[in-house]
Parts: sequence; structure tokens; C-alpha cells
Amino acid sequence: MEGVAALERDAQLMLRVREGDEGSFALLLNQHRRPVVHFLFRMVQNQAISEELAQEVFLRVYRSRASYEPTAKFTTWLFRIATHVGLNWIRDRKHERGHESLEEEVIEGVGRQIPDRRPTVEHRMVSEARLDEVRRAVDALPAKQRAAVVMHKYHELDYDQIAAALGISGSALKSLLFRAYETLRARLSHMA
Amino acid sequence: MTCLNKNKRGTETLLDYCAGTLERERAEAIENHARECAACRALITAQKNLWNALEEVDAPEISADFDARLYARIAQEEAQPTWRVWWSRISLSGITWKPVLTAVAAAAILAVGLTVYAPKLQDSLRQIRSDSVDVEQLEVTLQDLEMLTPPSASVGKTPAGKM
Repeated sequence: MEGVAALERDAQLMLRVREGDEGSFALLLNQHRRPVVHFLFRMVQNQAISEELAQEVFLRVYRSRASYEPTAKFTTWLFRIATHVGLNWIRDRKHERGHESLEEEVIEGVGRQIPDRRPTVEHRMVSEARLDEVRRAVDALPAKQRAAVVMHKYHELDYDQIAAALGISGSALKSLLFRAYETLRARLSHMA
Repeated sequence: MTCLNKNKRGTETLLDYCAGTLERERAEAIENHARECAACRALITAQKNLWNALEEVDAPEISADFDARLYARIAQEEAQPTWRVWWSRISLSGITWKPVLTAVAAAAILAVGLTVYAPKLQDSLRQIRSDSVDVEQLEVTLQDLEMLTPPSASVGKTPAGKM
């Protein structure tokens, strides 16, 4: 029931934005800023870039206000835009970086930006290494698999929503998730 | 119950079970099966470990000026002339320019080719047209000759000596 109410609220807010109500856009931004930025952060592994891309997502939402029709859940639409923006950025970076190695990508990541609340230096180092390894494993997945895992694990979108965001069928999504989790299980099996 | 890695819906069931979103009855069926099946038990354990490892990966706090920057971009965009807004949208829309440039280059080559060869082509067409007129005239002449030829003459292909 809560989900339906949220959908109606978001769609109604967006319809109000369409009518020129800036306050409704602020409410939508307030509610979805964090999920969008965090989704993009997990896609690109860089805080500054994820914020930049998230701004692009909300700009597109704002630009589309005049033609907005509540045909799908607002979050599905929003994540479709975010996925598109994220995948485009990854594709462009691939073209720009050519054959640079994965090691360099990882070094550029934001491993040290995440606060660690563990008390000792040793604990901190172990924790950092562990988190870094998980991030590296996720980052090494093909972009679409990564997007599917991030939406499934961290954003609690259902299969239909994730499939719609990625523009693929439900069965294609399941095999995508199957392959992604299988790869991650294999890569991180020693961490158990 | 069949094993999770043999069932077509096994992936979904495994993921939902580890995410804790599976209905109680189905979850219990999996647990009962896993007690007797070492392969499924190992798969569930591995997926749960992975799920927990992913759980630990946090995302950073968002910059305090995120909204201010966004509204500044919106204001800047709204102050721009329409053509410039559309141009920046096109350039940021992720269009890959390589195929577009290839198409433009192909069109340019075609245009140049048509300009250079078009007069010659027209001459050739004119020639073909004039040739076809000649053929028509020839056909008409032959028909006229046939018409003018008396029927006996057409029959009289038989050698005169045999008549």
C-alpha cells in the first residue's frame, strides 16, 4: 500500500511540476537525490562524477516536465534516466581511456572517501582492503550487469522496474543477474 | 523441491531468499531442501556471504551544495537562448558522432559525384532515348512494308519453279 501511495505522490508531484510548481520539484529532489547519487556512485565509483551525473539526471527530469505522462512508476522512469546517463558515461570513458588497465581504475576510485568507524588502525586497514575488494569486484562487472546488481541490491527495485530501467526483458534481466552474482560469488568466495 | 541451480526460476528464488523477500512457505521449503542438499546449501551460503559483503559497501554523503548547483544549472539553462539549450542537449545526449560524421561524408561524396557526373549521365540518357526512337521508327517502317506487301507475295516464298 505504501508503494502505491508513494507512486501516486511522486506522479502527482511531477504533474504539479509540469504545471509550473517549483516546490514540487524540490520535494521530488529531496526524496530521490540520495538514491540517484548513490546509484551513480556505485556505477562510476567516484563521488564528484556521480554528483555531476545525478545533476544531469535531475536536469533531464526538469526539462521533461512539459511532456511528462505518468505511464510508469516515477522511480522506474527516474532510474531509467539515471541508468542511461551512467551507462553513457561508462561507455564514453571506455572510449577515452582505451586500453588502460583495471588497476588504474581502482586506484582512481574513492576507497578512502568512505568513513570507517572502526577503532584501530589494523581493523581499519583490514576493513578498507575488504571493502576495496568488493568495490573492485563490482566495478569489474560489465556495465549493464553492474547496473542490475546495484538496482537489485541497494535500491530494492523489483524485477520489472529494473528490466524497464535497463530496457531489457524480464528473462534477460534474470540471466544478467544470474551471471553477475555468479561472477561476484566466484571473485569474493575467499572472503567468507 | 528441485535444486536452485537446476530450476529455471532458481536464480530468482535464490536471490529473493537471500534478500529476505521470499514468502515464508517458500523460504521454509528452501531451508528444508538445503538441509539435505549440499550443493544448494553451499550456493545459499555463498550468496548470503556476497549479500552481506555488498551490504558493507557504503556510499559517501552528498555534497551540501548539491541542490544549489543544480538550481544554478537550471537557472543558467533557462536564461540561455533556445537554440543554445537544444545544442547543449544534443551534445550531452550521448549521441555518438562517428556514424553521423560518416553519413555526412558519404552524402557529400554523393553530392559531388552527382554534380560532376550528372551532365554526362544526362547525355547518355538522351542518347539512349534517341536510340529507342530509332528502333521505334524501324518497327513502324517494317510494319508499313509488311502492310504494303501483297498477301500473295508473302505466300509466294515458295520457289517460282515449283508453282
